[in-house]
Amino acid sequence: MKIRINDKETEVSEGEKVIEVARRLGIGIPALCYAPGFKHRASCMVCVVKELTGGRMIPACSTPVAEGMDIQTESEEVKQLRAMSLELLLSDHRADCEAPCSTVCPYGLDIELMLGLYDTGRLEEAHALIAAAFALPVLGCEGCKVPCEKACRRASVDKAVPIRTVIGELAKKHEPPRVETKAKTKKETEEAILFQSRLGRFTESEKELLKDSVTTPSGCLHCACEGREGCKLRLYSAEAGIKRTRYEMSSASPAMTKLRVTDTIRFEPAKCIKCGLCVYNSNDGFTFSDRGFGMQVVLPAESAGNVGASLCEICPTGALYIGK
Amino acid sequence: MGCNCSNITAQEREGMLVRTDAIIESVGTSRESVIPLLQALQNEFGYLPHAALERVYEKTEIDRAQLISVSTFYSQFKHAPSGKHIIRVCTGSACHVKGAGNVYDAFIRELRIGEGEMTTEDKLFSVEKIACLGCCTLAPVVQIDEKIYGHVQPGKIGEVVEDFLSLAEENEKEEKRGERKQVAGEIRLGMGSCCIASGCGDIYKELVEASRQLGIEIHIKQVGCVGVCAKVPLIDVVQPDGSVVRYPNVKAAEIKEILHQHFKAASPLKRLKNSVLEHLHMYHTDTTWDNVVWKPENERMGVIDSFLTDQRHISTEGYGVITPLNINEYCAHGGFEALRKTLASASRSEVVESVLKSGIRGRGGGGFTTGRKWEIVAKSDSRVKYVICNGDEGDPGAFMDRMLLESYPFRVIEGMLLAAYAVGASHGIFYIRAEYPLAVTRIRAAIEICRERKLTGDNILGSEFSFDIEVYEGAGAFVCGEETALIASIEGERGFPRQRPPYPAERGLNGFPTLVNNVETLSQIPFIIKEGDEKFRAIGTKGSKGTKVFALAGKIRHGGLIEVPMGMTLNHIVEKIGGGVEGDARLKAVQVGGPSGGCIPAELCDVPVDFDAFDRMGAMMGSGGLVVLSDKDCMVDVARYFLEFSCEQSCGKCTFCRVGIKRMLGILDKITSGKAESADIDKLEQLALNIKKASLCGLGRTAPNPVLTTIKYFRKEYEEHVKGICATGVCKAMVKYVVDDNCTGCTKCAKACPVDAIAYVPYEVHHIDTAKCVQCGLCIDECTFDAIHKVPLNKADGAII
Repeated sequence: MKIRINDKETEVSEGEKVIEVARRLGIGIPALCYAPGFKHRASCMVCVVKELTGGRMIPACSTPVAEGMDIQTESEEVKQLRAMSLELLLSDHRADCEAPCSTVCPYGLDIELMLGLYDTGRLEEAHALIAAAFALPVLGCEGCKVPCEKACRRASVDKAVPIRTVIGELAKKHEPPRVETKAKTKKETEEAILFQSRLGRFTESEKELLKDSVTTPSGCLHCACEGREGCKLRLYSAEAGIKRTRYEMSSASPAMTKLRVTDTIRFEPAKCIKCGLCVYNSNDGFTFSDRGFGMQVVLPAESAGNVGASLCEICPTGALYIGK
Repeated sequence: MGCNCSNITAQEREGMLVRTDAIIESVGTSRESVIPLLQALQNEFGYLPHAALERVYEKTEIDRAQLISVSTFYSQFKHAPSGKHIIRVCTGSACHVKGAGNVYDAFIRELRIGEGEMTTEDKLFSVEKIACLGCCTLAPVVQIDEKIYGHVQPGKIGEVVEDFLSLAEENEKEEKRGERKQVAGEIRLGMGSCCIASGCGDIYKELVEASRQLGIEIHIKQVGCVGVCAKVPLIDVVQPDGSVVRYPNVKAAEIKEILHQHFKAASPLKRLKNSVLEHLHMYHTDTTWDNVVWKPENERMGVIDSFLTDQRHISTEGYGVITPLNINEYCAHGGFEALRKTLASASRSEVVESVLKSGIRGRGGGGFTTGRKWEIVAKSDSRVKYVICNGDEGDPGAFMDRMLLESYPFRVIEGMLLAAYAVGASHGIFYIRAEYPLAVTRIRAAIEICRERKLTGDNILGSEFSFDIEVYEGAGAFVCGEETALIASIEGERGFPRQRPPYPAERGLNGFPTLVNNVETLSQIPFIIKEGDEKFRAIGTKGSKGTKVFALAGKIRHGGLIEVPMGMTLNHIVEKIGGGVEGDARLKAVQVGGPSGGCIPAELCDVPVDFDAFDRMGAMMGSGGLVVLSDKDCMVDVARYFLEFSCEQSCGKCTFCRVGIKRMLGILDKITSGKAESADIDKLEQLALNIKKASLCGLGRTAPNPVLTTIKYFRKEYEEHVKGICATGVCKAMVKYVVDDNCTGCTKCAKACPVDAIAYVPYEVHHIDTAKCVQCGLCIDECTFDAIHKVPLNKADGAII
């Protein structure tokens, strides 16, 4: 059977999905809720394309080809819808891609990473990061207006992490590092930042929860997303040139809640886009609860054993990942 | 889901498990039985106890993931016990425009229910909102357990609760006396859409009192209604011989006389005993449940005449004559003739051809040509095929399907049989909302009667054709009106719509070709086959053939259920059938098609009832709610109302519907609270257009219609709201109540105010404390001097609304 994609006729076989044909032809269609070889059902609508004969917008990931289809993947209308679906997902995505402290540091120090090392007792590595950023023994923090502490998420909960104090302590107490670490320059850091999802303000109950539950030595919430490297939502948002969502930000799930699924697997509901990949591909594991905007992906405690690490690979965002 | 039954004893738990096991035993253990199983558990326990659910995991194929997914999706299921009595405040569209919000608030306030709670502290009452009770002409309506109260005003909450409690007390006594009681007869008191309106409570009390005084035990039954809502209150006296005498516009003072007339005091019991007991027996065994409201009525006159004259009854043929479960009466009116004729002499393809030629289009909303669907299913050579009757009518402000199922069960069944024969199906399912218990009971009973008459089962009427029908109860999800979601729900999943194509007609239930037709569509089929497609085609317009059933409600003089030929104008319906807008208000718009439809402004109401004409206006036929709006209604509020409904009913599967509608609602909230800027209107419109384009199923694709049509036809109102003015005073955040100099200090308003916002100061001009005022409107209703007004909040000396 034959269909047309972007004005080119092509031979397709029965049962193929539009996205498969397109990718075979080298036409990139972004898709979040789709993972080749896994069960999926259209949800995110980022893969939307226009079928010209019927004039309808269809999800490329799950629409099977049909004789005479005429698909358009790149028109302004399609791009606009794609961008809107991303923006809508982002408006329900209360999470920081990068920790604000790291993005504002004039020396390009990845403060959140450094604090992570500090909090887990890997002080030498933490020291190495600092050394690479500041050319020790001159500590960059001297005379710095510490925008990191002003930007700190913890500040909106109770008080900011004393970042300068931690850095000072590390620099003073420890031998110059033997570990070689090349810190990113500020420019490199900026380039690496694809797109910044924003957490927005904590609600009162979230503040209470965080106050009680976060007990790291530094007090750092570690708000940077651990799954950001493989996050497709971030990638596509950057590609679509989205700065931030135009819509009201709200979510039915509490921000900054990290659940331990197993020793290594972590689940953060607030970053979930409810695409259902983990639901459809686990047997009595993840499931949906409620409906509409309040719909959540949940994992009953009793079913945690039914979740495999492969799900972390297909999660399109940083909601499900292997923890550090 | 945490444990919700921590405080039960080990013994109670043991008993619970025994009961759970019995239910599992009787309902089944397969994954498909999850919804019926949960329904049975909830019926048994009033909610879904944790211990019972754990037992389900243990004993059935249903796992945790499936059960959580399903039990949290459908709104019928409760995970915590509720109060002894449940107060359901109808928030259907007709009730909404008549102030249901205030009524709900009043219950919460009067019963002192805490914030975020829904049950009183003593666990006596739970208050919840319900999408639509289908009593739109009585708006606002409240149902307490089984009892329905119409025209409930915020100030009458106390009376309603009191009345209910005294009734409940009497019922308990009755039950205790029940065994020794001998009943002389039955009186049916019209409820539902017509009768309760003016003083039904008084009539009821009078009936109880009079029967006691006369020593006549009568069964007072509250029944539903099929349309004529203007002749109220209305009672039917069922005589010992089963015949019914009707009394329209009855008054409390006449009750005794009526009782005397029918149940003479001269020891009637013995004389009647046998026949009455027989009648009761039949009633209880449900074999020939003769619970009819509509019997021949010769006294049609005046209003009833004008209400009925321009109607055309096809789906509702036998209106006012046919007893729902009397198959002989149905047959006497030509019932099952179409089936007989077909089985005797027509081929399957001839039936499909006939339906195709009739031009009938699906009545469920989309307006897809019915014959085409039939053709596709008929073509398939699959061994198994299904026919599903879609009775999951969930639109607020619509109750046509319920009425058809309750009043004409045999016609719908005949339609299904014809469809099944035509497409070659062997198995049929009636999918009916669980909120329609009477419809479920009637259809079940009717199927049973058909089986006895060889109209279903093997070799129907001696032919080769065999067909079985079962009933499936929906569990409360509007989206299940979408055919693929409906199928998912029958298969035991949450009601997520599925990718189309493949269409259910190709691959539906359990992967087999499935014909899904709406109740009203099926009810028109017998006419087409019996009378011929030419005759059907002759009714209606070029693109829309036959008749359409509507629920006419809102600000209309004579609301009710109507069936009109396609092509009749909305103006004709409103003016001639409905008797015009109620009170001294002017027609502003007609909302058609509920949450997927739109608002058609008064100046365009010469539009004919026609699928395509409605589509062109941005509205949609939908399933057939007609809510009449007057100049006292705020169009932005109406749009917000429907959008909120769609937001609550969105399944959550796709981004545009799940998040997009929520964001639209956010913008509308800003607009109705006066916090928006004019760019927000464009943003709203843009969002709406894209949601319409890119949502996966019909719910999302049509949900923006109420907003888009109101922006299109009433943009000025949106702009006024942005400026902080709600000209009708409906949007509470934008008005305040003030007392002017006409006040004589009579203190009526102060006494009426439920929140003490008006100080009791006799002979002084009263003052309303805006901080306390909840804007329930009671003071305005009470004031005899027209001294209380709503004024715009942001203007010191704003114009009076």
